Amino acid sequence: MSVSRIPRIGIGGPVGSGKTMLIEQIVPILKDRGYDVGIISNDVVSKEDAERMRKNLATEKGLMSEDLVIGVATGGCPHTAVREDPSINISIVEEMEIKHPNLDLIIIESGGDNITTTFSPALADYFIYIIDVSSGDKYPRKRGLGIETCDLLVINKIDIASYIGADLGIMERDAKIIRGDKPFVFVNSKTGQGIKEATNYIIKDILFNATPKSKITT
Amino acid sequence: MNIEKDNTFVSVDDISFLQLSDSFFPTGLYTTSNGLESLFYNKDKKKLTYTDIFDFIKAYLSQQVGPTDCSVIGNVYSCIQKGDYSTLLELDSVYYFMRLIEETRSASIRSGIQLLRCISSFADNNEYVNFYLKSIKDGQAKGVYPVSFALSCNAMDIQKERSGLMLLYGFAVSVVGAALRLGILQHYDGQRIIHEMKPIILSNVTKNINRSYSNIWQFIPQLDIIQMHHEQMDSKMFIT
Repeated sequence: MSVSRIPRIGIGGPVGSGKTMLIEQIVPILKDRGYDVGIISNDVVSKEDAERMRKNLATEKGLMSEDLVIGVATGGCPHTAVREDPSINISIVEEMEIKHPNLDLIIIESGGDNITTTFSPALADYFIYIIDVSSGDKYPRKRGLGIETCDLLVINKIDIASYIGADLGIMERDAKIIRGDKPFVFVNSKTGQGIKEATNYIIKDILFNATPKSKITT
Repeated sequence: MNIEKDNTFVSVDDISFLQLSDSFFPTGLYTTSNGLESLFYNKDKKKLTYTDIFDFIKAYLSQQVGPTDCSVIGNVYSCIQKGDYSTLLELDSVYYFMRLIEETRSASIRSGIQLLRCISSFADNNEYVNFYLKSIKDGQAKGVYPVSFALSCNAMDIQKERSGLMLLYGFAVSVVGAALRLGILQHYDGQRIIHEMKPIILSNVTKNINRSYSNIWQFIPQLDIIQMHHEQMDSKMFIT
């Protein structure tokens, strides 16, 4: 059986930066526009994130079937699981492609708190790196492969910037210097602020504004 | 890329031997602990020792990886020698059904298929690798790891006995790696275990590499049960 490759997004970032919540905000917007999504969540210790997304997005909101959220144990090496040896993730993605060929997009989340987190191009076609302001406004300036090379940099939790003395202007200035023409967005995943803009990048840059498979009539 | 064979002191096969033995080779095996994580979180809160890890690996090598995985490797080489495609598929099926834990079965298949694909991306066109990949695609085979491993080694001109050695050595290293990441061992102890395991690895390869198909066996019930417990754990770092 020949199965065509479904576009894949890798979302990486430090523990607590808001990867899971970003996915929980993006998926309903994508679904509203007709795009069907599968999710693979690599976690360091538990499958808690996968179980949370399954409950919130599948069981409660009915935006996808429950088997479209899969948690992966990474042997304590989430970076290896998405970069040096993505074998297991690739296997799971391919199984998902065979079982659900009508998906428009597969999102692969990777836990881990290293600014060198990147995704193997064999695994992900588009890479989102997410940080949050609580680590200080110096974060973009400190560079790192994730911040520099990702296709879209997301800076989360902008609502708490003033409480922890983080200057969003400095973060914006440094992100522009470090990333050049590559995009970045400020978001508040709790309220949804900035999420539409992030989703628009996904639709434009990885889905190429394609008609959702569910809306294609043959 | 074609590499000229140079038999002056070592051959390309020797480098292939190192390449496939390297834990850097992408197979995803670092994601498994073979139930060690379950032992680590034992309900009695007993701290695992150097001796526990040594005995754990030794038990697996003597009671399961040796008489099953290593024997499967030897039998795959026999199939290649005889051109016996039918028994090759039987070995795939028998090994699959001998894996009692679901997570272990699926991990074996995932690693096996990824290994084959990686090898077929650069090794010379090998009819047995191609046959097995096609059989997997057609649903005639599962793609279990030891069969994939033996076919990959054969495609790289690695001898049967060395293939068995590589698999058993790789298993020992993967458990030591899991023990290090769980904080049970420190790195010098890990290397000492691997060093002290060498005669056990050798002995199990010698005992099992020529074992006939009908005499493949395993008996490791306590560790099977431990793996079953691990499979059900809510919070864990490793695939079982």
